[in-house]
Amino acid sequence: MKEARIGVYFCTRSSGSTKILDFKALAAYAGKLPQVVEVKNLGVAPALDPLVLAKELTQKRLTAVVIGADSPGYFKTAFTRALALAGADPEAVRLASFRQHGSGFGEPTERAKAVLMCAVLDVPYAMAAERGSTPVHPDTLVIGGGIAGIQAALEIADAGKKVYLVERTPTIGGHMAMFDKTFPTLDCAACILTPKMVAVDQHEMIELMTWSEVEGVSGTPGAFKVKVRKKARYVDLDACVACNDCSAICPQSTTSEFDSGIATRKAIYLPFPQAIPNAFVVDAANCTYLQSGGTKCGACLKKCAKEAIHFDDKDEIVEIEVGNIILATGYEVFDASRIERYGYGRLPNVVTALEFERLTNASGPTGGNIVMKTQKTNKKTKQQEWVFDPEGPRPRSVAIIHCVGSRDRSYNPYCSRVCCMYSLKFAHLVKEKLHDAKCYEFYIDMRAFGKGYEEFFERIKEEGIHVVRGRSAKIRQDGETLILRGEDIVDDKILEFPVDMVILAVGLEPDGGTRDMAGLLGLPLDEAGWFEENDYNCDPTGTARGGVYVAGTCQGPKDIPDTVAQASAVAASVLKTIMSSRGQESAGDITLANIETRARHLAGI
Amino acid sequence: MAVQADPRLVAELETYGAQDVLKCYHCGNCTAVCPFSKEPFIFPRKSMRYLQMGLRDKLKANLEPWLCYYCGECSEQCPREAEPGETMMSMRRWLTAQYDFTGISNLLYRSWYAELAGILIIAALTGLGFWKFGSSVGDIHVYDGPRAFLPTMAIHHFDWIMGSVLGALLLINCLRMWWMTMGRDKRIGATPAMYANRAWLILLHFFTQKRYSECDKKAPWRLHIFLMLSYVSMLVLIMFFLPLMQAGPEINWAVHALGYAATAGLLVTVAMALWGRMKKSQTHYKHSHETDWIYLIMLFYVGTTGILQHALHRFGLPYQANVVYLAHLMGVVPMLVLEVPFSKWAHMCYRPLAMYFSQVQMDAIAEREKSALALPGTQSA
Repeated sequence: MKEARIGVYFCTRSSGSTKILDFKALAAYAGKLPQVVEVKNLGVAPALDPLVLAKELTQKRLTAVVIGADSPGYFKTAFTRALALAGADPEAVRLASFRQHGSGFGEPTERAKAVLMCAVLDVPYAMAAERGSTPVHPDTLVIGGGIAGIQAALEIADAGKKVYLVERTPTIGGHMAMFDKTFPTLDCAACILTPKMVAVDQHEMIELMTWSEVEGVSGTPGAFKVKVRKKARYVDLDACVACNDCSAICPQSTTSEFDSGIATRKAIYLPFPQAIPNAFVVDAANCTYLQSGGTKCGACLKKCAKEAIHFDDKDEIVEIEVGNIILATGYEVFDASRIERYGYGRLPNVVTALEFERLTNASGPTGGNIVMKTQKTNKKTKQQEWVFDPEGPRPRSVAIIHCVGSRDRSYNPYCSRVCCMYSLKFAHLVKEKLHDAKCYEFYIDMRAFGKGYEEFFERIKEEGIHVVRGRSAKIRQDGETLILRGEDIVDDKILEFPVDMVILAVGLEPDGGTRDMAGLLGLPLDEAGWFEENDYNCDPTGTARGGVYVAGTCQGPKDIPDTVAQASAVAASVLKTIMSSRGQESAGDITLANIETRARHLAGI
Repeated sequence: MAVQADPRLVAELETYGAQDVLKCYHCGNCTAVCPFSKEPFIFPRKSMRYLQMGLRDKLKANLEPWLCYYCGECSEQCPREAEPGETMMSMRRWLTAQYDFTGISNLLYRSWYAELAGILIIAALTGLGFWKFGSSVGDIHVYDGPRAFLPTMAIHHFDWIMGSVLGALLLINCLRMWWMTMGRDKRIGATPAMYANRAWLILLHFFTQKRYSECDKKAPWRLHIFLMLSYVSMLVLIMFFLPLMQAGPEINWAVHALGYAATAGLLVTVAMALWGRMKKSQTHYKHSHETDWIYLIMLFYVGTTGILQHALHRFGLPYQANVVYLAHLMGVVPMLVLEVPFSKWAHMCYRPLAMYFSQVQMDAIAEREKSALALPGTQSA
């Protein structure tokens, strides 16, 4: 066969690699690679003309082309046609995707060199850049006790391997425990989740550490040493029988995190009746006894028949050794008060999605009655407050606004994936509980992408919900009602709807602790601040750090089915390393020379 | 009738200063926050749609860009940073070029060199012409009276000739605007009575800019109306009272008081607008087209040289006054020739006309609806 003559073409874009890569060094490197006869930088977002390219290819007698870019596939068509026009093999286009490969390894230009070299040698990058292996400790740490962490922990523990599950709050369950129903099946969320929570609690291979935080990680992949701070709970987990006597007598109230702030809890509390572990916890910041140094109150101490309350409880640092770490730290919702024109926080009956979840939840503060906020006098402070009263007036019309904080360059440019579907679910719940109520959905694009989702959308429309294409822009109060202003872009009409309640479909954001956790583990974050997976297509659960995995929404917004699927996939990856006693090193440990040797070997040079 | 889509329309508008049109994903946020968007004229999203789809004819017949005052609310709230406000601005430039039958407007907006060359050529011709004329009838050391270098009455007549020619050109463009937006489409069904009933709106909108005052932000309207009133007062003084303005070294307070106020108003507002554009202090100052700069700079130049020649004359420096007067004319003539029928100046006519036409259209729609209801059997529809 005739010697191949390869042309390397760089096509940059105004964002991404263009800013960080040293294209001069890259071009010099590419020129020295075997069979490369032409290296050219086509500049920023080049408009490629196949005819012009074909001329050039013929002139240089090129038989194959390597495109080096962030998304080289974008430019492929032009080169394929050019090669065909030049009489060469149109299939001889190889892509060197700087963005896709090996995000965690080394300095960006070095990494780009490796990717480029593999494309020139026609060797799959993933094969050449194989990480070395290390022995693996059989125990696993799961950080985060939401549905992702629970699922991953159960899968691994069920295989007979030891799991430490560390959760920051006093109970596992995460956001899913707050939900009323799941879409599109309208199953009861708690009915799916709580048996899993109990299973975690009772599993002999799972050591549950709630009200605890990971403070430090040292060691190497396969042999991590992790420091966990078990925060003082002031209640003995084993002695407490969750009888509620302490909470009943506690004089201090504050807003309930579990009820998303629409109800109150005491300073000594159980987050929710099915909390795991099913034991009370003292909120030190709101406890009179702890704040006064033991001189005041102490009512619960006297009341507890089990003597389970210990105010001398101290934080405790536990050191554990694990082979793998699974991150399942989840998300937090967008702060809707940042968008002033929606009036959240100012207009009482503008609520966020999580608040509505608690409102419509049968175990929520209103017993599942969808009511409007009413003004009540707080007995203690003597001030007027807006509260959800179970007997309060029912809204006659409810509007749901999609994409609040998502797909918006002023806030988060990405799509949060779950809002369209949970909004449709809300519409259904409103219609189910308040038959005569009108319900409007204001959306930009309906993203009903999953199995059964489009059918659910169709069903909602048949239920008589008004679906309006066009995101509404403004909410103002007019007497008792809220006036919602928006454009119906299908009918080219400006709409002003009077409604009683507005639900803001807030998007998902990385949890506040994500950045610190990334620092602790030396992990890269993506542009939006989520944990970056090792390879979006081929290794969505691994990370650049060997032995560290991601599951659920901490990697990016996703719904419950996808979260559970990813959590199970993580368990498989982890079990693979435990069963074979061999785990992966960090991507940062591979050098360009390593990759080059391996690639040449694979290419048979 | 088949609708023709022109895929190059966005690229064409980009030469008029439009940016990021293709980013728009039609959420309707801009229309909903716009204080002027009222049916049936809802914008700017619909116009963005016409642009993206390449509906040239729809865009040509569109009055909406003239109903927008660029308060910037839409651009500030746009989730895609698609700059709908700036797109409306560039559509106004594009429409000005469409209304103009000579094609000069098109050239001026799209080529900054053409505009500069036009200014320089006309300035040179003006300077040369008046120099020749002045030298033949008078002496550069004499400002007024016999042997005056630039005799007041000659300038006065020149003003009227130029005004008539430019006015005629502008009138033709206004008629073309009427034809494109109203006349061509028989379905609008506007009757002469409707036109007559609403004619007063032209004057109302011209003098009060009432609509601009309905913006949530009031400061831009104040600046704009102050600038416009100063400008119009100056124009009226020059066109009708030039002999009084130029007469004698002594001050004729009857006209000069207004003249001073108008000059001061003009200079201050233009300076503020220039400063704002330089600092990009507000959304509508963020993107400046070359024509925006030229218009403001020319206005400032004309205002300064105008008051300077007046001052020099009053202080008894006829030679210097004549030189500055010549320089003043070399600014005024190109500014008016290029701007009145072909560029930014024309918006003084197009805007009130668009508001007038839009009201007539609304009347016609109301009339249609009334007659539709009057037909038996259509009530249930």
